[in-house]
Amino acid sequence: MSTTPQARVRSLDDPELYVETPATIFDAIPPYPPRTEREAEFYSVREGEMLINLGPQHPSTHGVLRVVLKIDGERVVDLDPVLGYLHRGVEKICENSDWHMVVSHCDPLEYIASMFSELVPVMAAEKLLDVEVPRRAEYIRVLACELNRISSHALFMGWLALDLGGLTPILYGFIERDEIVEMLAALTGQKLLFNYMRIGGVNGDLNHEFMSRLGDWMGHAAQRIEDSQTLINENEIFVKRTRGLGVIDRETALRMCLSGPPLRATGIPYDVRRAHPYGVYPELEFEIPTREEGDSYARYQLHLDEIKQSIHIIDQVLHKLPDGPVMAKLPRLLRPRPGRAFAAIESPRGQYAVYAMSDGTDQPFRLRIHDPSYFNLQSVGLLTPGHLIADTMAIMASLDPIMGGVDK
Amino acid sequence: MDFKTLVPGIGILKGMALTMRRMFQAKVTVQYPEVVQDISPRHRGRLQLLYDEYGTLKCETCFQCAAACPIECIDMGGVDTKSRFHVHWGPAEQYAERREESALRRSGRPVPDRTFDPFAAIDTAALDRILAEEDYDPRRMLTILERTQDAYGSLTVAALKHISHGTGAWYAEIYGTASFYDHLRLEEASGHVFAICRCPACTFRGAGRVVAALEAALSTRFGQASPEGAVRLESGACHGASPERALVTLDGEVVHDVAPDAVARMASQLRAAHATAGRA
Amino acid sequence: MTLTRSWSRLTPAGKIVVPLLAIVVALTVALLLGMVTGIVPAITGAVLDTLEANVGIVRFVVAILAVLLFTIPTAFIVGYLELKAIAFMNLRLGPNRVGPWGTLAAAFHGFKILAKEDFTPTGADVPVFTLAPAVVFLAPVLAFLVLPFAPGLFGQDMNIALLYFFAMGGLGVVGLMMAGWSSFNKYSLLGALRAAAQIISYEIPLTLSVVGLILLAGTLSLNQIVLNQQGSFLDWYVWQQPLGFAIFFIAATAEGNRTPFDLTEADSEIVAGFATEYSGMRFGFFYFAEYVNVFLLSALTVVLYFGGWLAPIDIGAVLHQVGLTFDPALDPGSLGLGLLLGILIVPPLAIVALALPFWAFRSGLPFWKALVVGFLLFNVIAAGATLLWAVASFEVVEGLLWFMAKTYVFVAILVWMRATLPRVRIDQLMGFAWKWLLPAALVNLFVTALALIVIDAVKG
Repeated sequence: MSTTPQARVRSLDDPELYVETPATIFDAIPPYPPRTEREAEFYSVREGEMLINLGPQHPSTHGVLRVVLKIDGERVVDLDPVLGYLHRGVEKICENSDWHMVVSHCDPLEYIASMFSELVPVMAAEKLLDVEVPRRAEYIRVLACELNRISSHALFMGWLALDLGGLTPILYGFIERDEIVEMLAALTGQKLLFNYMRIGGVNGDLNHEFMSRLGDWMGHAAQRIEDSQTLINENEIFVKRTRGLGVIDRETALRMCLSGPPLRATGIPYDVRRAHPYGVYPELEFEIPTREEGDSYARYQLHLDEIKQSIHIIDQVLHKLPDGPVMAKLPRLLRPRPGRAFAAIESPRGQYAVYAMSDGTDQPFRLRIHDPSYFNLQSVGLLTPGHLIADTMAIMASLDPIMGGVDK
Repeated sequence: MDFKTLVPGIGILKGMALTMRRMFQAKVTVQYPEVVQDISPRHRGRLQLLYDEYGTLKCETCFQCAAACPIECIDMGGVDTKSRFHVHWGPAEQYAERREESALRRSGRPVPDRTFDPFAAIDTAALDRILAEEDYDPRRMLTILERTQDAYGSLTVAALKHISHGTGAWYAEIYGTASFYDHLRLEEASGHVFAICRCPACTFRGAGRVVAALEAALSTRFGQASPEGAVRLESGACHGASPERALVTLDGEVVHDVAPDAVARMASQLRAAHATAGRA
Repeated sequence: MTLTRSWSRLTPAGKIVVPLLAIVVALTVALLLGMVTGIVPAITGAVLDTLEANVGIVRFVVAILAVLLFTIPTAFIVGYLELKAIAFMNLRLGPNRVGPWGTLAAAFHGFKILAKEDFTPTGADVPVFTLAPAVVFLAPVLAFLVLPFAPGLFGQDMNIALLYFFAMGGLGVVGLMMAGWSSFNKYSLLGALRAAAQIISYEIPLTLSVVGLILLAGTLSLNQIVLNQQGSFLDWYVWQQPLGFAIFFIAATAEGNRTPFDLTEADSEIVAGFATEYSGMRFGFFYFAEYVNVFLLSALTVVLYFGGWLAPIDIGAVLHQVGLTFDPALDPGSLGLGLLLGILIVPPLAIVALALPFWAFRSGLPFWKALVVGFLLFNVIAAGATLLWAVASFEVVEGLLWFMAKTYVFVAILVWMRATLPRVRIDQLMGFAWKWLLPAALVNLFVTALALIVIDAVKG
């Protein structure tokens, strides 16, 4: 901390700042002049305030996310998330690759729930090609997606508890996730980035090992998940730390373009599966769980409700699964008609959409990916000021961002 | 802050009871080296080529995977079906026939490696000129390849790589193009060349029987070389020049005795001479 | 030259063992010579005389050494418990390769930390930075001096032992603040400030909850407090001061920076808090100190509320009631030659006898393996028998065992809480201390005082 009086108000015009003294060497203030008004306002520190980096290397930012906090003691006054540490140029890469290869490029966007991130460009391509996907393939897609949703939610609940200090729930969450992921490995061949969706269907049919594992799991799934959650559901400390924290009201939620559990926790029953139905969801019955409070605890409870709904959907799918091919007949070299297509699905984090532009060649002209975590994460800046540093974690964890999607 | 919620109350005790119960339940850890979990048959993570039940390699080096790979990380190595062309580039660890060899090499033991020669570098000045003149356009690939063959004698690996870097076309595609056309050679023209004209006039005079005899003697087909590369059969053009017999040239010189057995004998002699010369 | 050449051919282990052997041989030779010439007995005689003259100092030095040496295995055991017990609660196995059931894992962690790079960050205040881990480690170690482990087995029996104990607990704050301030890091600063606030605010309910107990016991000496709880387990102070015990335990958890109050080292928020810039053995010292502190706080709970080294029921008295008297005062010397025969004959016979069932009923076992099994079993039985005899004949051993058992029950409870509970926030923590624990402690104090007055009035 500099002791010279004129450096108290540290604005970026201050020439002292460009000198690397021991006081400034580790400062969170960037060494270039502010580029926007918001930057200038944020990086000018008043008396008693401190800029601290919740840096890209941190046990609790969900991936590589840098958050610059302006704190006054323990209280967060302002918050500036800095993105881009995981930017891989996926959209640009997709412009240079085949329509078929887009699947494996978009896989690691939402790496925890990669069925969803693969499904969306595939749906966009199918719209451009006017392909009719066989019904069996549609049902298998729903099955795989709902399984992936459950595993993603199981992990979310573990993460939330881990960020709050509990060491055990995340391991219980991983036990659940392990079972599901082994199942999906029997089906697709991989455990994390499945590369299963294909334009016109899916990669391979269900096999015996997958069905037997699924049967074993379905027998005790709901009970096991409930059981593991008794650890934190009513735990007074957990409730104290999440209830009333990060409350979003409906107008703010709509203004910030939230989607998914953060939106439904405020009471708005918007689910892409019902609002803009795709696949065979119109034939399946399930409810859209909502909560009214809009705080972190409500979001946590909502994930539990969604897991139950997903299990219900899987049940129906298994009963209604038709026979048939799992992939439509398509040429190897795909040339969709020139045009644009928009495809949106409901991923565990919210509305996951792709706006695809094709120019008639075998490479997409542009693939713009609308990832829910990107929009959900923005609200962290609105929700945290006024709370303590420890609450930053609770709020961020409850919004469930995946940095792969945020940074693309 | 109401009393019930922060004093260690029922919720905390329930949680602690759960962990105590879990302490005595069966653990889910898989003790790895002793217990190996089953890998699903569809698992894609095994970096190995598969063999069928007869022991032959299933991989046919069809380049489909290389063409489909999103990040172009697959390189192919292989030998064509008559063991004439060796195509070798890329890291040996990844593919086809050299996985075992590269494992041997990495182990520090000496590797007898007949099929792998690091490809010889070429002087790229002529090639750069060609590419510049063709404007680095991959759509003019055929022209580029023909001019490269004229300049260098054959389409060497280094040349193809350079063309790939210059035009942006994939190596696999360029190789495919080069191997499609008969007049493009991937290896140095070597050995003797029997050129037989297949125009109607020469065929009428017995070129077909000559071709058959040569094919038998060289155990190859028309348009290709004998297995050890000593003698090649190519098509020639008489341009109407020889009215009384078929035109057969050996290394450019006209062969006068075009009886099928005589030509076949000549071919066998050349093969035998090649076999004994210069080979240990 | 041959020495250097064969030196370089030794393995690293050999390079340790050979000089060691050489030193041992040299010392033995010197000792024999000294004994023969009479120098060694004279020296030892003089030394023993001086020691006898200053028993007080000797005792003190021995106590200090014992305490310092005791902390090391304690930290390893508590560390092992953390690794293994939390793993079991997480439905996983924890370390199970390093020693039998992974017991050496914590020890190897300690050695591994010794081998790590030890650096000082830029801008840090070096003397303070270096001394901070030592101060943090010293605080619990100093407090060990007054703990009564067994009847007669304590460092010092001060009559202000409890006050000294709490004072030493507060010393840890100084160390934490030194650590946080001197590492030139905002996270460390936050962690240190949180730590200071937490420990200082929980000291007050801690001490106040014990004042009720002091009123009951009438003394601050820990040894005396234990002796006041003699009788059976119904005489323990926990039944007379239940609220005091609850407050004390919660406040002790906070004092020791244990979950749910471990925000000073909150992994997921401020990345190891005050210890962020530390690595190598300095970091190891902080965690060492934490494990020793866990043991210390559990030990204090046991001493104050659960009877210290007292057994729940006096087994000797019970056996006496039944009619079994047990006079363990064996004098081995009275056996004479029989002792020698016993030592020569009994072990081999017992080993063979224990090995026979294994060899007979396990078909794949070769005889020598059965003998090994027999040998191990014999060791276990002999050790058990010796232990029982020691427990029966020496009060100290019995008291020590009870003390350790009860302490480790509470250590296990602290570890159990760590596995299960999430963290509280700093403002919730402070609110809890000042708004709930402090008034509760005061209520406890008033009620105890009132009860004492009423009982005195009724009696007299």
